[in-house]
Amino acid sequence: MAENKSDSTDKTEVLRYLEKEKDISDQIIDHSRSMITVINRDYNYEKVNATFCNAHKVADESVVGKSLSDVWGYDTFNRFIKSNIDLCFTGKTVRYEAAFNTPKLGKRYFEVIFRPISTGTGEITHLLAETTDIDDLMQSKRAVIEKEEEFRTFETNLPIGFLRLDPGGNILHANRAFLRIMECHDEISITRMNIRSFYVEEGLFDIQLDQLLDCNTKNFGRVYLKNCNKDEIPCRITGYVAVNDEGTTAYIDFAIEDSSRELMLENRLQQAQKLETIGALAGGIAHDFNNILATISGYAEMLKEDLPKNSENFDKVGRIQAAVTRGRSITNQILTFSRQVDQEKVQINVSEVLKETIAFVKSAMPSGLVIRSRIPKRKAFVFADPTQLFRVFLNLMTNAFHAMEEKGGLLTVSLSVVEGKIVKHELNKDIVADEYVLITFKDTGKGMEPSLIKRIFEPFFTTRDVGKGTGLGLSVIHGIITEMEGEILVSSKKDIGSAFIIYLPVSKKYTDPSVRPDKRKKILFLTGNKHESRILSLALEGSGYDLIKINNSENLIKVMTTTEDHPDLVIYMTDSKQIQQRELAAIYSRLKISTPCILITDPDQEIMEEKLLNSGIIKQHLLKPVSLREIRDAIQSSIS
Amino acid sequence: MPGVLIVEDEKELREMLKISLARRKFTVLEAENGRDAIVHFKPSITDLVVTDLIMPDEDGLKVIMKLREIKPSIKIIAISGGGKAGPGSYLSLAKALGANAIFSKPFSINDLIARIEELLDVEQHK
Repeated sequence: MAENKSDSTDKTEVLRYLEKEKDISDQIIDHSRSMITVINRDYNYEKVNATFCNAHKVADESVVGKSLSDVWGYDTFNRFIKSNIDLCFTGKTVRYEAAFNTPKLGKRYFEVIFRPISTGTGEITHLLAETTDIDDLMQSKRAVIEKEEEFRTFETNLPIGFLRLDPGGNILHANRAFLRIMECHDEISITRMNIRSFYVEEGLFDIQLDQLLDCNTKNFGRVYLKNCNKDEIPCRITGYVAVNDEGTTAYIDFAIEDSSRELMLENRLQQAQKLETIGALAGGIAHDFNNILATISGYAEMLKEDLPKNSENFDKVGRIQAAVTRGRSITNQILTFSRQVDQEKVQINVSEVLKETIAFVKSAMPSGLVIRSRIPKRKAFVFADPTQLFRVFLNLMTNAFHAMEEKGGLLTVSLSVVEGKIVKHELNKDIVADEYVLITFKDTGKGMEPSLIKRIFEPFFTTRDVGKGTGLGLSVIHGIITEMEGEILVSSKKDIGSAFIIYLPVSKKYTDPSVRPDKRKKILFLTGNKHESRILSLALEGSGYDLIKINNSENLIKVMTTTEDHPDLVIYMTDSKQIQQRELAAIYSRLKISTPCILITDPDQEIMEEKLLNSGIIKQHLLKPVSLREIRDAIQSSIS
Repeated sequence: MPGVLIVEDEKELREMLKISLARRKFTVLEAENGRDAIVHFKPSITDLVVTDLIMPDEDGLKVIMKLREIKPSIKIIAISGGGKAGPGSYLSLAKALGANAIFSKPFSINDLIARIEELLDVEQHK
C-alpha cells in the first residue's frame, strides 16, 4: 500500500514536473516573436503558438486540426505553400521569404523556415514551421539599396571622372564619367591599368603623388591626359589621399574634369579679341591708304587727259590706274574684315545661294574632286548680301579644293536649321535668333596643324605659297559672317581634312522698308554667267526691284521696242556670251535708246568698246566682285 | 564759275582735288579740318562742298549739319575712305544727314567732277 502510495506519489511528482516543463516550453514557444506551428502530413495544423493565434486573431483550439488550405486560402496554399512543405517532407530544411497577409498585421514580409520532425525510426511525420516577420529588416535593406543606387547615379551622371587608385597608381575603381572622358569602352580592362599610362608627360604623376602625400588634398590644375584613342585631353585634376589606421596610404582618389571645352572657349575668346585688335589697326591703315590711292588715282586721271591716246605714256598711266584698282580691292577687303564697310542686306533664302554657288563651282571643278551636298528643300531665310554670301561660299570651296589638289578628295557641303539654344551652348555667347542656319564645308584634304588653325582668320595669314593670293580670303569671310551676327568656326586635323562651320541667324521678319527705296523700278538685266547673275538677281529682287532678265539680243530688242514695259535701267554683265558689247552699243544707237546702263566687268577685262563708253549711256562702271551695296548705290545715282 | 569748298585733312589729296577742280575752272576754296570749314565758311561764294568725313577737329558729319544750317541750298558731296560709327558707315550716315552724293575713296576724279557739274547744273564741256 505504502509502496503503492509512494509509487503514485512519484508518478504525480513526475507528472507535475512534466507539466511544469511543458508549461515552460509552451511559454517559450508562445512568447517567441515568430509564428511557430507544427504541421502534419495531411497539411493540417497540429500545434500553433500564441504569436500565430494573435496574428490570425483566432483562438488556439479553433485552428488546431484545420488544414493550411482553409487558413491561407486554397489558392495561396497551392501556389506558394504546398510545394515547400512537400520538399520539407523529403527531409530538407526549406527557407524562403514571401509577403503575405495576416488578419492582424496586414501585408508584410516574412521569412518562413520548414524543418522536418522525425520520430526515432527516422520517419518524418511532421514539420515545424517558423514564420518570422522580417518586414522592418526588408525595409531598411531596401533603403540601403536605394541609397546606394542614388549614390551610383550621382557618381555616374556627374561629368566628373572619379578614380580610386592603390598607392602604386593602379586603378581600383573608375566611374562611367572617367570612361567617357577617356573614350574607353572597356570597363573591365581599365581596372587593370595604371594611371601613369594616361599621362602625356612622363613622371608627372609621381611628382603629383609626392605633393599629394605632403598635403593630403590638392588641385593640380590643368593636366594633359591621353585618351584611349591617343588624343590629348586637357583635364583638371584634384587628388585626395586616404590614410588607414596605421598611418600609411590606403588609397588615392582622383577627380578628373574634361576641360577641353573650357579651353576651346578660352582660345576662341582670345582669338576674337586678337582679330578685333588687328581689325581696328588694319582698318585705320586701310583708311589712310584709301586717301593715298585717291590722290594717285586723281593725278593719273588728269595725266591721261593730257596725254595723247594710244601713246606709250597713256598706256603707262593706265597701268597706274590698274594698280590703284588692285590696291582699292585690297583696302576694301581689309575694311570688310574689320567690319568698317556697310553690308547692304536683304532677306534671302540661303539654301538657294548655296545651291547656285555649288553649281557654279561644279562647272569649273578640277578632276579628281567630288562635291557631295546635303541641302534640305525647306527654305532658310537669313538677312544678308547674297553677293557676299556667294563670295564666302565660293572662297571656302576653293580653299577646300586647294587642300585636296594633290590627292583628290571629297568636299561635303551640308545645310541645316538648328535651334538657337543649341547654338548658344555651342558658341557660349548670346544668341540673336530662335533658329540658326548651320552650313558646313568638310573636306578630306591635307588639314592643318593646331598652331595654324589658331591664326587662320588673321588678315595676310596664308597657308599657301607666297604669291598665291593675298591671304585676305578667310579674314574677309570672318568679317562678313561676323557682320551678319553669325559665327564661323574651323576644325581641322593634319592629313585628315578640315571643316568650316558657319552659323547664321535665321531672319523672321521683313526689315525696315526704307532699305528698299526704289521699289517698282524696272531693271533690264542682261545676264552673264548663269550662276553669278542668278545671285545678283536674287540680291536685286530681294531689294524690291522688278527684274526683266534676258540673255539674247532678240529679247533685248523686243523689250526695248515695246513701249509699255520700258525699263528704267539696264544692267549689263560683260561676260554675257550671247550679247556682245559691240552688239549692245549697236542696238543702243540704232534704236536711239537713252535708258541709263550700268556695266559690270571683270577687273582684268579689256577696256570696253569706246563707243559704248563715250555714248554717255554708261552711267556707272563696276568691277567684279560687286557687292549689293555698290550696285544699289550705282542704281540710285543712275536713276536719280 | 561756281565755288567749291574742299574739306580734307590729307594734304596731298586736298591738293589733287584743288588742281583737278581748278582745271575745270571752278573757284576752289579749301579747309583742312571741319572746324576750319565751319568757321571760315563763305556762304555767298560757296555753292558746293566736298567734305571728307573722318577728320580731327570736327568731323565731316558736323560740317554737313552746320553748313546746311547756314546755307540750306548748299550742295554737299561726302567722300570717305571707310570707317564706321555705330551700326552704319560714315558714308551712309552722311547720306542720311542730307549729303547729295557720297563717294568711297579712292574714286574716279572724273566721276566726282561729273557729279559736281550735274548738281550745280553746269554745262558739261569736255
